Amino acid sequence: MEYGEVRELLYELCALKGTSGNEKAVAEGICGMLGKYMDARTDRLGNVTGTKGDGYSILLDAHIDQIGLAVTAVDDDGFVKVARVGGADCRVLTAAQVTVHGREDVFGVVTSTPPHLKGDDSENKVRKFDDITIDTGMTKEQADKIISPGDRITFNAPFDTLAGNRIASPSVDDRAGVAAILRCLQLLEGRKTCRIDVMFSAQEETGGSGAKVGAFNSQADEAIACDVSFAKAPGVNAEKYVALGSGTMVGYAPSLDYNISRRLTAIAVEKNIPHTEEVMGGRTGTNGDDIQVSGRGIRTALLSIPIRNMHTAVEVVDLADIENTARLMAEYIIERSAENA
Amino acid sequence: MLEILKDLCNLPGISGREDKVRDYIISKIDGYCEYETDPLGNLIAFKKGAKTPKNKIMLDAHTDEVGMIVTGIDSDGFIKFTNVGGVETAVIIGRNVRIGEKNIPGVLGIKPIHLIEKDEEQTLPKKDDLYIDIGAKSKEEALSLVSLGEEIHFESEFIEFGDGFIKSKAIDDRAGCAVMIDLIRSELEYDCWFSFSVQEEIGTRGAAVSAFTVNPDYAIVLETTTAADISGVKGEERVCVCGNGGAISFMDRATVYDIDLYRKALDVARNNNIKAQTKTRVAGGNDAGAIHKSRGGVKVLTISVPTRYLHSPCCVCKYEDIESVRDLAKAMITELAQ
Repeated sequence: MEYGEVRELLYELCALKGTSGNEKAVAEGICGMLGKYMDARTDRLGNVTGTKGDGYSILLDAHIDQIGLAVTAVDDDGFVKVARVGGADCRVLTAAQVTVHGREDVFGVVTSTPPHLKGDDSENKVRKFDDITIDTGMTKEQADKIISPGDRITFNAPFDTLAGNRIASPSVDDRAGVAAILRCLQLLEGRKTCRIDVMFSAQEETGGSGAKVGAFNSQADEAIACDVSFAKAPGVNAEKYVALGSGTMVGYAPSLDYNISRRLTAIAVEKNIPHTEEVMGGRTGTNGDDIQVSGRGIRTALLSIPIRNMHTAVEVVDLADIENTARLMAEYIIERSAENA
Repeated sequence: MLEILKDLCNLPGISGREDKVRDYIISKIDGYCEYETDPLGNLIAFKKGAKTPKNKIMLDAHTDEVGMIVTGIDSDGFIKFTNVGGVETAVIIGRNVRIGEKNIPGVLGIKPIHLIEKDEEQTLPKKDDLYIDIGAKSKEEALSLVSLGEEIHFESEFIEFGDGFIKSKAIDDRAGCAVMIDLIRSELEYDCWFSFSVQEEIGTRGAAVSAFTVNPDYAIVLETTTAADISGVKGEERVCVCGNGGAISFMDRATVYDIDLYRKALDVARNNNIKAQTKTRVAGGNDAGAIHKSRGGVKVLTISVPTRYLHSPCCVCKYEDIESVRDLAKAMITELAQ
């Protein structure tokens, strides 16, 4: 299988479950994975951080949290009521399989409304979050022993291998970014580099609190945020969207450091790394925004991995795009390390 | 019966493509009865009982499940499809599927929430705009994996959960098939006919001809029906309730049931301490609609497993209800034979 290393990393990462504010399990798992390359620890807000080397420093960031739901109540019939955590999408919840992370993990199905109870509403009307309930097959008495308000809920869907080295899974946003950084560290193994700080940050989907404090703790000389972005798909056809498999996306935005962006593009061209440019008009909507303004300010760049169906249980990514993101990151670090030795 | 049900649910078999389900059933009933496959694919079995009945009785369950069928491949390699049976858009968007002979994995994508307009937030995409992403980079690559006319079924494994519940695709109507297999493999007091019928979901096509072939006096349809016993739904609006036993129909959109037979079924359940309930809503339809009009007419009874989220990748029912349906069906064979 092509891209075996990246596939293995992504598989291991997507098996971990953690929505914003409840990243403990995913942080522990990722801490172990990062620990193979550098000293890794968890900070006060739940970020996993690590550092290696001395001198000039480059911070690499990707977020570890995923969108999901939170329990607000167990109703009298034993069904679980929910609130959204991050940008969960109500259109894709009906009939989804989920895991309720209570005192123990509980299997559940998002209920659907039988035809006779729909009234005159058209079949295609989207339900409101307040009307979403989860069937755990338990009575209220049984459920109350295991499930409490605040418990998080994640999609329970397969890590599905599609044609052409493409994967469909929940939480590709942003485990793909985490995989790219871990792969970058693999590619750099045995090389002398400048200081590399890694931040696998918590709470991106709820506003970037993790990155803000993690970047402050790092105070690196520059940073590269690594997140997912939109790939072309039916209904997503505008010129600005790129095809899945077209390589890593180098971000260009007023909030990003123009010199680093151009340098990344130049290295990609020189090293024959498939890439595209992703241009935004202000901020980027990623951790890059928070890293840039932490402490006395950090010059920040953004590399993105194109995916389809963002914030669904079937986020589709091409492994080649993760590999190429890792390659570009590694080549950039090698050049900057030489310049700042 | 649980293991057989699990195997049956995991097999693919949309309407018109019930072969794998039929082959499996044959492997389980071979040696326990006589059987033949008719021109449409119905599997008709005759089980010898201890005694010869006065009346000829046929049990029916359908082998097909709802799903989709490949209608085209677009220029970018995305699969276009149409529904086979009643499948709502809400339950398939964002789900995993498997396609055709090669069991090719695919997913139903949607425009990300970040990019949609206000009106798109409240309305699901039109059926014609739905597509399946198999990861192909081109039409040619897609055509090398998937052919037009191939079946598409939900990827949804059989899971036991909660307070005696099970979750799977295709519980409608592999539950009925599992009950019939179990009865065929058990000792029956009277001779009985069984029709594992094809193409129920596109309009009860299989049962129409198997009923003609068997020519029974009575037929008992073993089905699943909507259980709306979910959050906040009260009383008869629930249609039937998981855990209360088989749901017996007095009327649905396809059949007005023989009132004496309906009452007799409730009496037999009560007298034998078998859980049963009345289906409290005139809705749905099943093979009884075709069977009762066969030849000179057949008296029909339907006993259904109360099932939540029918026709979705995640049907949910209580296993004990399937056992109740089996026990009542067995008691009714004896009752109607005399």
